[in-house]
Amino acid sequence: MPYLIRRLLQMAFVLWAVATIVFLMFRLMPGDPSAAFIDPTFTVEQQQAVRAQFGLDRPLPQQYLIYLGNLLHGEFGLSFRQRQPVLGMVLEVLPNTLLLTLTALLIAYAFGTLLGALMAWKRGGRFEAISVPLVLTTRAAPEFWVGMVMLAIFAFGLGWLPSGGANVAGAQYASEWDRILSLDYLRHLALPALTLAIYLQGLPALLMRSSMLEVMREEFVTMARMKGLPERTIMLRHAARNALLPLVTAFALGFGQSVGGNVVVENVFSWPGLGRLLAEAIANSDYPLAQCAFLLIALVLVLMNFLADLLYGLLDPRVAHGRG
Amino acid sequence: MTATTLSRRALLASSALSLLPALTPRLAMAATPGDKIRKLTLLSAAQASDPQEFQAAQLIAQSWRQLGLDVDVRGLPRPQLSDVVWNNRTKWDMTMWRMVGRPERSDPDEFTFNLYNPATIETGYNFIAYNNPDFQKIAQAQRAETDREARRKLLYEAQDVINRDQPYLFLVYPKNVLAYDQSVWKPESVVEQSGIGIRCFWTFLRAEPAGAKRDMICNAAESMIAINPLYISGAIDSWVTELVWDRLMRVGPDGLPQPWAAEKVTQVDPTTIDVVLRAGQKWHDGKPVTVEDVVFSFEAPATSDKSPMYKPFVGNIASVKATDDRTVRFVLKTPSAAFTTSTLAKINLVPKHVWAPILKGLEGKPENAETVQEEQPVGSGPFKVARFKLNEEIVLEANPDYWEKPKMDRWILRIITNTGAALGMLPRGELNFLTDYRGDPKLLTDMAKQNPNISVVATTDMGFRFVAPNERRQPFDDARFRRALSLAINRQLMAAAAWNGFATPANSFVSPALPYWSKPGINDLKADMSEAKKLLEEAGYVVVRGKLHYPEGVKETLDAS
Repeated sequence: MPYLIRRLLQMAFVLWAVATIVFLMFRLMPGDPSAAFIDPTFTVEQQQAVRAQFGLDRPLPQQYLIYLGNLLHGEFGLSFRQRQPVLGMVLEVLPNTLLLTLTALLIAYAFGTLLGALMAWKRGGRFEAISVPLVLTTRAAPEFWVGMVMLAIFAFGLGWLPSGGANVAGAQYASEWDRILSLDYLRHLALPALTLAIYLQGLPALLMRSSMLEVMREEFVTMARMKGLPERTIMLRHAARNALLPLVTAFALGFGQSVGGNVVVENVFSWPGLGRLLAEAIANSDYPLAQCAFLLIALVLVLMNFLADLLYGLLDPRVAHGRG
Repeated sequence: MTATTLSRRALLASSALSLLPALTPRLAMAATPGDKIRKLTLLSAAQASDPQEFQAAQLIAQSWRQLGLDVDVRGLPRPQLSDVVWNNRTKWDMTMWRMVGRPERSDPDEFTFNLYNPATIETGYNFIAYNNPDFQKIAQAQRAETDREARRKLLYEAQDVINRDQPYLFLVYPKNVLAYDQSVWKPESVVEQSGIGIRCFWTFLRAEPAGAKRDMICNAAESMIAINPLYISGAIDSWVTELVWDRLMRVGPDGLPQPWAAEKVTQVDPTTIDVVLRAGQKWHDGKPVTVEDVVFSFEAPATSDKSPMYKPFVGNIASVKATDDRTVRFVLKTPSAAFTTSTLAKINLVPKHVWAPILKGLEGKPENAETVQEEQPVGSGPFKVARFKLNEEIVLEANPDYWEKPKMDRWILRIITNTGAALGMLPRGELNFLTDYRGDPKLLTDMAKQNPNISVVATTDMGFRFVAPNERRQPFDDARFRRALSLAINRQLMAAAAWNGFATPANSFVSPALPYWSKPGINDLKADMSEAKKLLEEAGYVVVRGKLHYPEGVKETLDAS
């Protein structure tokens, strides 16, 4: 299957490019990278030892080769700050981020799709006049601000939901699964997931709206009307189903993007995820950790992109043919 | 520029400094001014990362402009600021800087000996290149003086020298503001350690539950780095390590060291100290704490090279030996007054049966003990590690076998990255002890006014903020110029405006948080613009058309940058 092979090669190239950019980005930032893990009280010998330990005393091209070699062996190095293998640190928090993203996307797409379909169906009415600007506003509002408002209302005001973390203090579970499936975890997940969903719903809503508007002009809708089917049936059974296609891609891509874009929400709600880890890594010039997090995000993004392409081909055979 | 030329320059600068007083009166007589002083740049942390420091820098620049100086404030991100100041030591004029409080700094030796030490001009603490042999003589003498009264006299003298020379322009001792829920913790059982505050070993050991809640729930604004007794990894980590691993001595609430896991500490002669171990202590795995463990704890950092950060703290030990099954004798290379605080109250006691095999396994490898994270840490302190996720939560349990059992059941540290959220969590009981607060202190006191259960405690820090003038560059090599600049600064205003009142004016490297060592009255330096101008005039500086010029014959050697 030449198409599949070509796509896989493309993916490999993209990942290599990302790895290279990530490598250079961190070396070219202002400030001495070693400042983060060399205490000023170290003797010169100690400082040199630390530099040697992390390969920072070699010239840049050599550092690059060491780096690529390590990546190919699945070695992402030791965290400058925690001195532990970064891969383990990233994998520890990854489930939290994936769950947060998935929950938020499901809420956002379920709600956004419905809202979009309604906006298209009620084209020109008061509903559309109110909802379109509202959707745009929520999409444009800073996540940080939305998060703080959610905290102020649901946590500090009404006291319904906890205000940070992934569990109540000191909670103990028999296994990771027990923890993730507990009501406690779900309650902690609610506010960050809702905040993220408020931000994410704009895209599916607007996409669905324009897609619906297109479909509504198609002959089969007119046909359904002529047959005398009720409006609701036409909207849900016929028009909406056909308008869903572009949303599949958007969902897959949104998932990839969101995994990397959760930095703000995870910090507002102290959610122990990849975004928070990444933010801390950057603040502390913890290069190996930030590199690993970036690469993982890139990997998820590229994989989701690939998956979207495949899904698209399955759902609409014309697309696959078109590629030859 | 090579390191040697750099130090030669520093020496030249200092010798020029000692000549100046003899020369200047004659210069002041003559009316012809020297070159105009270039535009001076005051570096500071960026406004976003440290609004208080940045605002203080602005206030300082304003008052110096009144002296006829052109002053620019330049805010930089912290890593970049550190890079410039530490690694490019000839390239800057002045910087805002800070020294932070740590329990071992309860002894004034570290600041006294290190900050102005000529040996650290090139790569260490003395980044301003202050070089005064008289001061260094006193600094050397105080660390060898084991008579406390006599040592205090020396430290008063040292503070006087620094006050006269103004190598740093001290600004304020900030106050740390923390809070707790007094419906959960009895206020009389919460201990305020001098210079450290209520977030201290003594509170965690002795805080008594007021009601049914027996878990202390604390917060930290960033992830922990490690739980490792041989690695000085970070401030937050040290809260945990000092609860899990015990120490022979502890710095008490009064800031003075007291025997702890040691029953008795005796100074036999200036270089010999006998320590008698408290009987019946146990490691968290049930094995007894022995004198061999104690010897190992002090020998491991010194001999193995695998605990580089602790190595300096045991560097003065010539030998450490068990003399019977409860006594350990330390012999020092040179007499050291600070030994009890900076070594006996600093080094964690670690079990030999756990760490000897680990260190052996590391032999010949590039990694050291700092990369080791035990799955189940074993100490002999008042708390045991129940479980931990460094990025999320650390749970400690009271050690029932400890000779002073903690009053609480568990000590829980949550990583809460959002300061605003942490503030909101306190009255809701999601936290009951705010151990890390980096926001505006006023928000916290306002919140406490609405919640009578919340008690706020502000503690003057051992650390301080200051302007560091680069004495490698003129005009900062002139002590009278520095003193004039210092007199122009209104510290009262600064503490009130930039720090919202949560700071005390400073003029010494010994904080009033160390009442025994701080010289009374030293911090009463009042802002006096006319005195500052008079001082400059006496030193020969001349104001021409509103701009300050060097004394006659002095050329500006640096480009304005």
